[in-house]
Amino acid sequence: MKRYDAIVIGGGHNGLVTAAYLARAKKSVLVLERRPRVGGAAVTEEIFPGFKFTMFSYVVSLLRPEIIRDLDLPRHGLHILPLESTVTPMENGNYLAAWADHDETRRELYRHSPRDAEAYDEYGRLMHFMAQAVKPILSMVPPDPTSFAPSDLAGLLKLVKHFRGLGGERLHALVKLMTMSSADFLDEWFETDVLKATKSASGIIGTFLGPRSPGTAYVLLHHYMGELDGVFRAWGFAKGGTGAVSESIAAAARSFGAEIRCNAGVSKVLVRNGHATGVVLENGDEITARTVVSSLDPRRTFLQLLETDELPAEFVADIKRFKFRGSSGKVNLALDALPSFTCMPGIGRQHRGAFSISPSLDYVERAYDDAKYGEFSRRPYMDIVFPSMIDPGMAPPGKHVMSIFVQYAPYKLNGGWTDARREAFGDAVVNTVESFAPGFKSKILHQQVITPLDIEKITGLSEGNIFAGELALHQLFFLRPAPGWAKFATPVHGFYQCGSGTHPGGGIMGASGRLAAMRILKDGV
Amino acid sequence: MNYDAIVIGAGANGLVTAHYLARAGKRILVVEQRHTADPAADIGWVPDVVIRDLGLAGAGLRIDEPDPWVTAPLEAGGTLELSRNIARSTEAIRRISPADAAMWPEFCQRMRTLGGVLERLYLVSPPDIESNDARELARIAGLGLHVRRLGKQTVIDLARILPMSIAELLDDWFESDVLKGLLGALGVWHLKQGPRSGGTAFNFLHHHAGSPAGVFRPARSNVTQALSKVSGVEVRRGERAAVLAKNGKATGVVLQKSGETIQAPLVISSAPPRATLQPLAIELYPDFARAVGNIKARGVVARGTLALEQPPGYSTFCIAPSLDYLERAYDDAKYGRDSAAPYVEVQRTDGRVEVHVQFVPPGNHDGLAERVAQILKVLPNQVALQPAEESLYHGELTLDQILFMRPVPGWSRYRTPIEGLYLCGSGTHPGGGIPGAAGRNAARAIL
Repeated sequence: MKRYDAIVIGGGHNGLVTAAYLARAKKSVLVLERRPRVGGAAVTEEIFPGFKFTMFSYVVSLLRPEIIRDLDLPRHGLHILPLESTVTPMENGNYLAAWADHDETRRELYRHSPRDAEAYDEYGRLMHFMAQAVKPILSMVPPDPTSFAPSDLAGLLKLVKHFRGLGGERLHALVKLMTMSSADFLDEWFETDVLKATKSASGIIGTFLGPRSPGTAYVLLHHYMGELDGVFRAWGFAKGGTGAVSESIAAAARSFGAEIRCNAGVSKVLVRNGHATGVVLENGDEITARTVVSSLDPRRTFLQLLETDELPAEFVADIKRFKFRGSSGKVNLALDALPSFTCMPGIGRQHRGAFSISPSLDYVERAYDDAKYGEFSRRPYMDIVFPSMIDPGMAPPGKHVMSIFVQYAPYKLNGGWTDARREAFGDAVVNTVESFAPGFKSKILHQQVITPLDIEKITGLSEGNIFAGELALHQLFFLRPAPGWAKFATPVHGFYQCGSGTHPGGGIMGASGRLAAMRILKDGV
Repeated sequence: MNYDAIVIGAGANGLVTAHYLARAGKRILVVEQRHTADPAADIGWVPDVVIRDLGLAGAGLRIDEPDPWVTAPLEAGGTLELSRNIARSTEAIRRISPADAAMWPEFCQRMRTLGGVLERLYLVSPPDIESNDARELARIAGLGLHVRRLGKQTVIDLARILPMSIAELLDDWFESDVLKGLLGALGVWHLKQGPRSGGTAFNFLHHHAGSPAGVFRPARSNVTQALSKVSGVEVRRGERAAVLAKNGKATGVVLQKSGETIQAPLVISSAPPRATLQPLAIELYPDFARAVGNIKARGVVARGTLALEQPPGYSTFCIAPSLDYLERAYDDAKYGRDSAAPYVEVQRTDGRVEVHVQFVPPGNHDGLAERVAQILKVLPNQVALQPAEESLYHGELTLDQILFMRPVPGWSRYRTPIEGLYLCGSGTHPGGGIPGAAGRNAARAIL
């Protein structure tokens, strides 16, 4: 039987990126995916006949440009269409809009507050700069500050030099971004509540935190690191849905010779004398390899694929402590026609962008309060897009698909998730949209409601956390996923981790997958 | 009379700065707006070096080290009492949770090590990370080396725990609600944050600094009164002073009641940074002015006294029965209301019975005294509360407002853009709850 150079467990985007890079380096690689299709949480599925949905993640921006280049993804079918605007409907019937045209956005802001319109450009410049300043960290293997190894000391020194090179003012801004709440950080810049609410919303995505919780300013910055075609802070939509991103990486991997097997769930990693030797499939088959790489989240990678006696007790304790608290849900709708929003009646260019349901900071904060005590938000924060307006192939002619990202839906719901609770959650979402777009409900043809428990069941992501582990300060960099083991290697020789649960984290970046492949190649497969 | 320096405010930090400068041969005037010294106890660690340098032991300094250091009511009746003796506390905890009792000694040790790191940072000026000065770089490297010598676990703990929420930290260790509640209260102490907010684990450690292992309430003392008894500085009471500045240089103060001006080349203010600086023409320094305007100093605490017929049988009585209780108390404050069910702590020191109530944001306080009275099972007229409009620490101790970020980024070394004007109060490093530390650091920076 064939012995592979490397087996990659999990065909999500990070697993595929690792596989593609390894195959590109002429290694024999096998990707094993449990589901019938690759993509993990980045999949497109035809849930209702003729209506295609990006089931979970729905926008693209953070995918690293070097990966697009190295793997020549456009040749393998990646085509990204821009998402042009964000409209926030307010409860008094007014709205706040950000358009692709910068001057138009400024005029719109001016309508709300001349002072904020003035501050907006300076704020944008600062965030752009800070994102640039942090980006090198994303492509860097985190040094271990507890180690005295020369490579770690050199890494630390490089880091210190990098940050000192920013100069005082920007260094202070960085400290603020790392430690503040997005609400407090934005308070220093703006006075318009709806603007602060909409901006702070990107600081809560995927977290179990509210806009007033410290730590959310960092997530705000994380979402500023998007780069499409070199244009910063441009969000896009992949033609064919996010599944097309995964498909293009898979096609690239295959073109380099990687083998991808679907319907092939892995139940265990084989370990002999502290060395990984291969895997056992759920059907009992054994496949051997020199190296095994897991793209699953840290909990499943270490507590499920391995026996805990194969790992140091301290490490197991650290992994058990790693936090996942899923907080996001998704509602996918097939529509007979597009809804018209009270604040901007009719159908128009606004439907080619996003609608953000974040009318005030208190609104978003209250949505969090519900979740804090174990309930889903009665009036949730939502990020709504109509993919069929950007890519008509997603729905039958004249019909539409609507994707609603919802927060908060706690994984640990009081009393647990049941079909009835899922339905009640879906109702809360639909009724809230209806309050901003009367008549919307009558246009719904089909409805799919996805809770964090569903995300966990379908994709395997523990507790349904979309980042494969919370992006909290104490779970980043050399602490992701555990102190001493943030460099993609694990305590088992020949066993590596490459998923979003490792540095630098989630958001369809692919950076973890790429860094892991580099590390594996450096160690010599 | 000519003075070398005028100090605004005769609180602990103002007096400490004044005495250090006086000891260096300067003629000092302290101007204080209150007519008499505040009788309230000073809460927080008084660093030994300050006691020694200023001879406070001989000036009647009393430091209260109550044992047990906290008493908390149990839902099932009775109380949980934690002692200065770790073994005795462990036994007390065992009665409510054997699992928590097993964790207690190690928790105390780990927190003590981290508290020790903070103590070392607090008795010196904050590290200047922008500096290119070889001495400063060597000092920072020395601090780094010190931490690394404490072991791998300490380095990891510092990086992991400081940005954490106190709820996450306590959930890692304990299961008992009442234990987590009384510890969690110290994490939100004087902060407009709930126990689930990041950075509250740091606030917890900040207030552990100076206490022995296993004690998680700051010491209480009469340090301000003792400082008032030390001779060597002139104190003028009942006058509110504002800084005078000309051409970017401090020239003295003006007393607001009499209109009298007093000249001095050096003015040092222990008042809140914003109150000191905003009346001056700091708009000439736009970045600095904006940073001063952005200092977060939101009031959330009402302090006061409790009139009891008999002195209570406890020294510190804490009502914060769970982390959720604290979180809900904070939720009210987020929307600008007093907590419906506030965190209440009663402290008996030197025969006085004081009370700390949180969260009490600025606004209407109708019914607050009644609610506190009900919680403490006393009559409303036995409770006298003074809600604070602004943070009693002159700036919240959040991670973005400590060390080189305090009071404002880049101006953490007690100086201001106005030549001859210095700050020495709680608004500067290391912040509130450590009477005298900022005052001493400021005096050393000035000298």
